[in-house]
Amino acid sequence: MKIEEIYKAWQEEKRQIEIHKEFSDEVMDRIYQYEREKRKSLFDIQQLIELISAHSLAKAGLVAAGAVTGLVRIAFVVCTFLRT
Amino acid sequence: MTQETEVIHRVLEGDIESFRFLMERYERPVVRMIRNITFDRESCEDIAQDVFLSAYKKLASFDPARSNFSTWLFTIARNKSLNALKKKKPLSISELTEKSNPQNPSDDMAKKEFYDRLDKTLQTLPLSQRRAFVLAEFEELTYEEIAQIEGTRLGTIKSRINRAKEKLRTALEESAGDIL
Repeated sequence: MKIEEIYKAWQEEKRQIEIHKEFSDEVMDRIYQYEREKRKSLFDIQQLIELISAHSLAKAGLVAAGAVTGLVRIAFVVCTFLRT
Repeated sequence: MTQETEVIHRVLEGDIESFRFLMERYERPVVRMIRNITFDRESCEDIAQDVFLSAYKKLASFDPARSNFSTWLFTIARNKSLNALKKKKPLSISELTEKSNPQNPSDDMAKKEFYDRLDKTLQTLPLSQRRAFVLAEFEELTYEEIAQIEGTRLGTIKSRINRAKEKLRTALEESAGDIL
């Protein structure tokens, strides 16, 4: 066998590849799982919004939390202003 | 619009199953490239799965005006191979010899010796030379495509491939002297 022939045969051997049959199915499963998780996290935010808008107590709680945050912020600004 | 670009559009519009077409077209070249760069028969398919998952996630960022889909995909495969090599413990020469050609017990000894010598030489090439060589000689990509994947100049790629070929030729000639 000449050196060129050996090299060509080696090159051909390196090009041979066997992939197991389920390869593309496994990747597609991972892709579908990724999509499900992506939708699930989006759905969770939507679910939270729906939950709050459906219950008046939850709405009141959200408004109260917002009001308290606002008051704390105003108090912080006033304190900072008085110190200077 | 090429068939691939049409398929990519369909996937981006929500037809996830169309991605299978791209995968079935490129699974063999991608797995082969990873195997020949990492020399890891066991995990090359796992790395290839990560490549296709990443490609799917980043598909919206693929720009057909800038590159072919294959070049873009090979760039992801190149980066994943590099990461895998960084994490992996280097193989010993004896492991390499054993892993390089396990499927050909009937091959005559001389041929096996040649193949082993070539495999070892390929494995000991600097990584940049090995990647360029694998893409050119086994995947038959053009030098321009390889330069794009490697993010370097055409001249650099030519010189890397030439140096790799020179080392392999020397190894083969030395083997011929030893074996024949």
